[in-house]
Amino acid sequence: MNSKFGIGNIFQFVVFVALQILLMDNLVIFGVGFCFIYVGFLLFLPIQLNRVFLLFLGFAVGFAVDVFYDTMGIHAAASVLLAFLRPLVLNLLTPRDGYDTGDSVNIHVMGVRWFMAYTFLLLLVHHTAVFFLETVSFAEAGHTLLKVLVSTLFTGVVMVILQLLFFPSKRATRV
Amino acid sequence: MRNLFAFIYRFRAFLVFVLLEVLCVYLIVRYNTYQGAAFFNSANKYVGQVLEFQSGVTDYFRLASINSTLARENAVLREEVLQYKAMAQLDSTRQLDTTYYAPSDTAQVLPYILHAGRVINNSVRRTNNYLTLSIGTADGVQPGMGVIASNGVVGRVKTVSEHYATVTSLLHSQMLLSAKIKRDNTFGTIKWPGGDYRTAQLEYIPLHVNPVKGDTIVTSGFNTVFPEGVMVGTISSVKKESDKSFYTIRVKLSVDFAQLSYVYVVENPHQDERIKLEQNAGILTDEQ
Repeated sequence: MNSKFGIGNIFQFVVFVALQILLMDNLVIFGVGFCFIYVGFLLFLPIQLNRVFLLFLGFAVGFAVDVFYDTMGIHAAASVLLAFLRPLVLNLLTPRDGYDTGDSVNIHVMGVRWFMAYTFLLLLVHHTAVFFLETVSFAEAGHTLLKVLVSTLFTGVVMVILQLLFFPSKRATRV
Repeated sequence: MRNLFAFIYRFRAFLVFVLLEVLCVYLIVRYNTYQGAAFFNSANKYVGQVLEFQSGVTDYFRLASINSTLARENAVLREEVLQYKAMAQLDSTRQLDTTYYAPSDTAQVLPYILHAGRVINNSVRRTNNYLTLSIGTADGVQPGMGVIASNGVVGRVKTVSEHYATVTSLLHSQMLLSAKIKRDNTFGTIKWPGGDYRTAQLEYIPLHVNPVKGDTIVTSGFNTVFPEGVMVGTISSVKKESDKSFYTIRVKLSVDFAQLSYVYVVENPHQDERIKLEQNAGILTDEQ
């Protein structure tokens, strides 16, 4: 039921990229906390999605952000990495009785602990890729690491807020 | 053969992943080195339209500060016009008779041309910052031209489309700017080390000169991008480190990059001639 890529996902793509470019670009905490809200598009996709298709979606969303950020390839590379690791992380976090057909990435359905582990793990990988590709060298690794950690926390909190606000809690909690 | 296809099919996700990552790395490398006709950037027509719409909305909230900047700039220009008028009256060498004709510097005859442009996209907090301007080739902007604001140096044009231009900001990890200390003409290089967007570093100032806090830093005019004497900033701290043969100087930039609204693209009509001369003489070995 929820495992199809539909018109709603295309709508999400546009909204997330627009939010990223128009709003989040101006929202930086202490010069180290960046919010890459567009990653939410990849995180909230249906669980049982074709892996190859997911990779192309990752490239598309990263590329769209790159065009506006003048950072050709950086966000695309990080997003493709995230899209590649997503099925592996989902496998790693499989609940005791496997995923149901109706399961989607939803904090109410899958539980807070599952959602936190899933989100922060993938965000950490994505943000590490973005910031280290940006500086290219390991010269100021300390500052870059600080950026990665603060930004992961920031984006993660925004993801949780998005889930609580916009994702329905139709089913009873699982955990 | 069948086994090969079976193998490829089994690992298709991984292979697509590797292919896409290679494509990304290619894009990163190409965009960083190739200055010419990069298509997918904020100078692109459609991207430019979105950004222009965005700044169209946000500009309303900044109208007051933009007006005051323009008014201040008008005042400065007016002042300068008056100065030139006074100078023209004093300087009468060109009207002397043919015996004592003193040909003046050709740079005075053909001055730099300024193209005013509105900033429609700007960033200050990334490692590599860029601006987008709403002027392009239609207004005479070409890649490589310098960009200044009313109070100092801003950056250098990277790519241009018909109506938009992308500018590498001074706040870019690979941007170097030839500058000098105004008081004693010692020249060095301005580089932004990242972090705070109000301060940059002045490098390669040898230890025998005496820079002091508050000294003015201006462009040197040694490259063809910026006119000589455009304000860069003032020295905010000078440190002498025992293991280095140059001072460590921090410079407070005169331009507040977070507040940019209108900038000027500098066109140097003599640029081609000068670059050709310097290349023929073997001084310029590569394109900078």
